[in-house]
Amino acid sequence: MARFVLRRCGLVLPSLLGLLIITFLLIHAVPSDPAAAMAGDAATPEQIARIRAQYGLDQPMWRQFLVYIAKVVQLDFGESAFSHRPVALDIFQRLPATLELTFCSLVLSIGLGVPLGVVSALKHNAWPDYLLRIFSVMGIAVAAFWFAIMLQLLFAMNLAWLPLRGDLSSTMTRPPAITHFLVLDAVLAGRWDVFGDALRHLVLPSITLGLGGLATIVRFTRAGVLDTLQQDFVFYERAMGYRRMRLIWVFILRNSVTATVTQIGLLFGGLIAGAVVVESIFDWPGIGSYTVNAILTGDKQVMLAVTLLVGAIYAGVNILVDVVHGMLDPRLMDRA
Amino acid sequence: MNPILRKLSRDLPAMLGLFIVVVVLLVALFGPWLAPYPGDASASHLLQRLKPPSEKFPFGTDNLGRDIFSRVILGARGALAISLTVVGVAMLVGVPLGLVAGYRGGWVSETIMRVTDVVLAIPQLVLALALAQLMKPSIESAMLALSLTYWPFFTRIVFAETRRLSSSMFVDALRGVGAGPFRIVFLHILPNALSPVIVRATIGLGFTILVAAVLGFLGMGASPPTPDWGLAIADSRLYLPRAWWYATFPGLAILITVMGFNLLGDGLRDLVDPRLRRSR
Amino acid sequence: MTSKLTRRQVGGLAAGALVAGALPPSARAADTTTLVSGFQLPQNLDPHQVYDVPMQAMMLNTYDNLYRYQDDPPVIEPWLAESHTVSDDGLTWEFKLRPGIKFHDGSAMTAEDVVYSFQRMLALALGPAGAFLKILKPENVTAPVPLTVRFKLETSYAPFFAAIPSVCIVNPRVVKAHEKDGDWGKTYVASNDAGSGPYKIVSEGYRPLEYLDMEIFDDHFLGWKHNPKPVRKIAGRPTKETSTRVLALVNGTLDWTDGNLPADQVDQINASKVAYVQKDVVMKTFVVRMNNKKAPFDNINVRKAFAHAFNYEGFIKEILAGYATRDPYPQPDTLWGIPKDVKGYDYDLAKAKEYLAKAVAEGAQIKRPIEIHVQSENEQSVQGAQLFQSDLAQIGLNVKVVGNIWSNLTSSTAKPETTPDMWVHWVSTYFVDPENWVGQMYDSQFHGTWKASSWYKNDEVDKLLRKARGLVKQEERAPLYEAATRQIMADCPDVWIYNSMQLQGINKRVKGRRFCTVGQGAEVRWVTLEG
Repeated sequence: MARFVLRRCGLVLPSLLGLLIITFLLIHAVPSDPAAAMAGDAATPEQIARIRAQYGLDQPMWRQFLVYIAKVVQLDFGESAFSHRPVALDIFQRLPATLELTFCSLVLSIGLGVPLGVVSALKHNAWPDYLLRIFSVMGIAVAAFWFAIMLQLLFAMNLAWLPLRGDLSSTMTRPPAITHFLVLDAVLAGRWDVFGDALRHLVLPSITLGLGGLATIVRFTRAGVLDTLQQDFVFYERAMGYRRMRLIWVFILRNSVTATVTQIGLLFGGLIAGAVVVESIFDWPGIGSYTVNAILTGDKQVMLAVTLLVGAIYAGVNILVDVVHGMLDPRLMDRA
Repeated sequence: MNPILRKLSRDLPAMLGLFIVVVVLLVALFGPWLAPYPGDASASHLLQRLKPPSEKFPFGTDNLGRDIFSRVILGARGALAISLTVVGVAMLVGVPLGLVAGYRGGWVSETIMRVTDVVLAIPQLVLALALAQLMKPSIESAMLALSLTYWPFFTRIVFAETRRLSSSMFVDALRGVGAGPFRIVFLHILPNALSPVIVRATIGLGFTILVAAVLGFLGMGASPPTPDWGLAIADSRLYLPRAWWYATFPGLAILITVMGFNLLGDGLRDLVDPRLRRSR
Repeated sequence: MTSKLTRRQVGGLAAGALVAGALPPSARAADTTTLVSGFQLPQNLDPHQVYDVPMQAMMLNTYDNLYRYQDDPPVIEPWLAESHTVSDDGLTWEFKLRPGIKFHDGSAMTAEDVVYSFQRMLALALGPAGAFLKILKPENVTAPVPLTVRFKLETSYAPFFAAIPSVCIVNPRVVKAHEKDGDWGKTYVASNDAGSGPYKIVSEGYRPLEYLDMEIFDDHFLGWKHNPKPVRKIAGRPTKETSTRVLALVNGTLDWTDGNLPADQVDQINASKVAYVQKDVVMKTFVVRMNNKKAPFDNINVRKAFAHAFNYEGFIKEILAGYATRDPYPQPDTLWGIPKDVKGYDYDLAKAKEYLAKAVAEGAQIKRPIEIHVQSENEQSVQGAQLFQSDLAQIGLNVKVVGNIWSNLTSSTAKPETTPDMWVHWVSTYFVDPENWVGQMYDSQFHGTWKASSWYKNDEVDKLLRKARGLVKQEERAPLYEAATRQIMADCPDVWIYNSMQLQGINKRVKGRRFCTVGQGAEVRWVTLEG
């Protein structure tokens, strides 16, 4: 088992290096002067030249790349051209908010998606199935940013049931940052008012972010359950007098878990990408809004770091998925 | 009638998808003749800003007094142009690479597939956004950025199909009668690998419209005054909640169009290979 | 859904929020010691690294300067310094520091600390340094006697004094304690407090782009006698999205927005019982640049045709709902040094066509598509460009609006070939002096900077501007700027559109605000919260 995990990790390192090379080349091939950006509005050409030398931007590209790699290995991602703060520090402070949001949407997609998928399969070709199928087609086809705005318009602006933006009301004081996960920190500090407020702020962004995944999971669970229902052993078990519901839960779900785990791996990548849009609409203080801000201002250092981070998370999740697969089906481990 | 088409015609959702796709295509082709105010692609009318939907303006007017209904119609052409170009370019790059990697084997195949894997691991949206921004935001940069990140999907599919086919009996037989690799790949393998590619492309068209809309929304795709759906939604945020119509209708246009491609793609996939169940 | 938010609905919104339990009601109105501020946060908190409008709003509360602008129109007043003297040749400036000034850590401010601050600013060479690098060497800032700071300039430069309020005094004891590899404490000051101002940053009170919490500094050198009931805490909550800002303002969770409220939102806020919109004329000009070195803009008649094709009144009246003043000059019409008798250009498509015909007769090529670059994230620049494009199309010109970002635009202006045909931007008050506008925009020695991106060159204008820069007395400088501006306007290098009016949404409980164009009235020390 340990050997399997190690080998999977070993395979990931070259792809991360490749990812680094490709993003570095792509981002640096584009003519745009970070020094001018760093110097600020009122800068003179001399100021810009000085900064270019100071940050080694006048060096040849391969040199800059080697310097960058040497730094990345020490988890130093350089500093933002605008805030002049270390990118690693910003990421460290903002990642928990993104993970919190991603976790909530994942719980939402799976917690709702699996039961709805089962219902859809059981009511095959009846009205709940039709409704759910329409829903799942629309859920994938809808533009998340538009859906978010529609939710804001209805639930935050017109009905005023839920907050419009952010992760906490402006009048709340934040609990001390122990884990940097706001909801956890609130619990640790016993601040139940903050806890409730933070949860309310999570609702709309989680729904937006989770919608695509929810629709996908409904589809896959439905298909999986339908497949299983048609297989011989189910007929056999049913003939043996097992009750239908029990059958479904015991056999069918276990058989579709493998497929769902794969889906979650795929979904996670989508969720992180979706966070870019959702966070910037809801002003969520995570990596996504940080990325959009960096892109809008042309902050190359941050763009590189974020691309790498998302790639690494994606790879990490896929390793995890493989490991879970392996545990569910030990034969796979030998094949890999 | 062709049995495949007959089967498709019995699939109601797929037919709905086909209908939507055909309508969107027609609207894209004949937009300037269908739109009540084709001049509103670029003109502005300061005196009729932000009017709610009425008989004169079925979808209301925007911040510069332009008819949103006309602009939604005119936007179809841009959306389709982007997605057709991106998917086309991605196929042109991805399919040959997949064929070569699948047929040749050895280090060539190894290199191509490694690069493909790496590019697949790059968060597509983030990279596309970054590139589009750095290359000076415009439709062209957006299309290039999306193509650069979309080709690996085709390489993967074609690679798998080619691998499967080139070890099949009939290719062995062809080799036996002395057919050259060029002939085998293009006349025999490619046509057989085409159906999953077409399925992928159909779904990819819808998907690309979505991603392109995100780029437009974040100001990294079409530039004003182009009637772009994503851009319109971005502009509309400044006037919420007052001008709800401004955000609503362009979003519905995206939803319906993408849904059309997805439904059609799903239908085609069920025809080609009922077991094939990939997302997106 | 309705097209307009009526008064009743706004009340309904607030009530709905209460019923839904958005906040305990007490957290809102009763807390008269905390001001929730919606100003944008600067890119980081170091006033020597960043100098822009959000930084001004922050540093006026956290830091102090030798002199400071107050009120409207802005008057430069003694602040940390009691007084100053300048030698006749304009080269030696001496500032006398007040005794008994304390930093936030309780240590006393000395003249050496001021010297350190200026040297740090020059060494970092960022933000505010642009105004000083050419005329001031670090070793020429000295403290000859306690409480006196002396500057010896390389050349006489009148705007030196106007730029003094842009430099904050930092606490060297705090900065040096956090210095790493001679970085002048750059990383530390970017996220922490090293000031002496009326408010100090609370620990863990800062997250970039998200929030900034400050609390009162009771020992501030000016004391608090002038304001018996000051704000004790400032909760900085920048809100990017307009609809969010407006909603928060109307439901009472935001005490004031920044000054960039779009005109379209004014009615909605004024209709609420909770807040109102404050209008203030600021010194921030809106201009469409033309690249005078690129055809067809190398032809004066083409430039004049463009200047006559912008719908100034329509833009200001309809899109800005009248919240701006038409300013035909290259600098704010409220500033000195303006030839008031010159009329400027008006919207007249017939005239525009005439000039265009003249230009074509002279051989100007006007067929190629002309690009006008805008900052995509800035709605107003996009709208202005679209309006311009629509009118230019009527006189047969093919103009393309191109979205771009600030950092790309400013680097593209380094060379005439890369500078866009046209681009749209504002010129804010970096210091209150004509040098900030005409001086740096039209003196050809600044070619290559974004401010001089029209690549305008006129030897006569160069001479006038350089002479004005070297003199110290305003009454001697004013006629020179007037003459230069007259010539510039005749040459029509750019399209000057308006001087801004800032629109700030303010909760009615906020009293005592003092407005100044530098810092947009963000100085909280005068403010009291009623109720």
